[in-house]
Amino acid sequence: MAGGGDFAPTGGRAKKGKKRKASKRLGIRMDMTPMVDIAFLLLTFFMLTTVFRAPQTMELNMPPSDVKIEIAESNLMTLRIMNDGTIFWNIGVETPQKVGMNDLRKLLLEQNKQNSKLVTLVKVDRKGKYYLMVDILDELQLANVDRFSLAPLTDADKKEVAKAI
Amino acid sequence: MVDVAFLLLTFFMLTTQFKPPAEVDVVLPDSNSVIKLPESDVITLTISKIGEVYMGVDSQYLRAVLFGEENKLRTAVQVDMPTLTIKLIEARQRNAKLRTVLKCDKDSEYGVVMDVMDILLKTNISRFNLVTNLETS
Repeated sequence: MAGGGDFAPTGGRAKKGKKRKASKRLGIRMDMTPMVDIAFLLLTFFMLTTVFRAPQTMELNMPPSDVKIEIAESNLMTLRIMNDGTIFWNIGVETPQKVGMNDLRKLLLEQNKQNSKLVTLVKVDRKGKYYLMVDILDELQLANVDRFSLAPLTDADKKEVAKAI
Repeated sequence: MVDVAFLLLTFFMLTTQFKPPAEVDVVLPDSNSVIKLPESDVITLTISKIGEVYMGVDSQYLRAVLFGEENKLRTAVQVDMPTLTIKLIEARQRNAKLRTVLKCDKDSEYGVVMDVMDILLKTNISRFNLVTNLETS
């Protein structure tokens, strides 16, 4: 490719000055290929680097640690998540029962329909993975349960769960 | 065609927001939550896969104040639990509008996350956000 612009006079340039006006700039042809190349290069670059989706967030409202809220035992649903991801649920002092992640939403909806004052307590094992908690919170949100709180899983809880197995 | 190419080029140039280079790479968990992340005035607490805690604020000035001039350009600085408490209080004293955002790796241990949340509660931050990706199913 010839660098720069191809200058191709076609008008009557060779003639005398009087005719100059007529020639104008009609005959100038610029080679735009390099510019277009660069344009496409930049276009691809920006297309590939653009991030369209902004990350989403989940909002958590925790009660301040010095406030104690009393709840009747029959209104308390406990979800215990063990470190291998198994979920146990119980209401009040019942023996914990195992529930799968897929059935959890149905269970939550059912229980909350039966008792509108139900408060859910989520206990996740310290050795569990973080995404387990996010999954549970997500399920709670999908089931429209907004009254829940987080608590640490203690050894007493592990004993409770051991009873179930 | 060239016109369209230029049009697209301008569009992408104007809409691009460069992701600030992250100090740590985290794989975010998925959720169905659709609340957007606030864009400014945030304290980002990052917890890596192996349980290191990083703290970062979005304003460069505040970063210089909190972590010293030499860390001004870093988006996040590794902190331990006692330092985190002090820095959180200090940051909120300087800018009361700051919102706290927790960015944890999906495979990080829950215990560390719990410790950090305890610290947040102790410093009276009872409202915070967890960063997740939108679930695609």
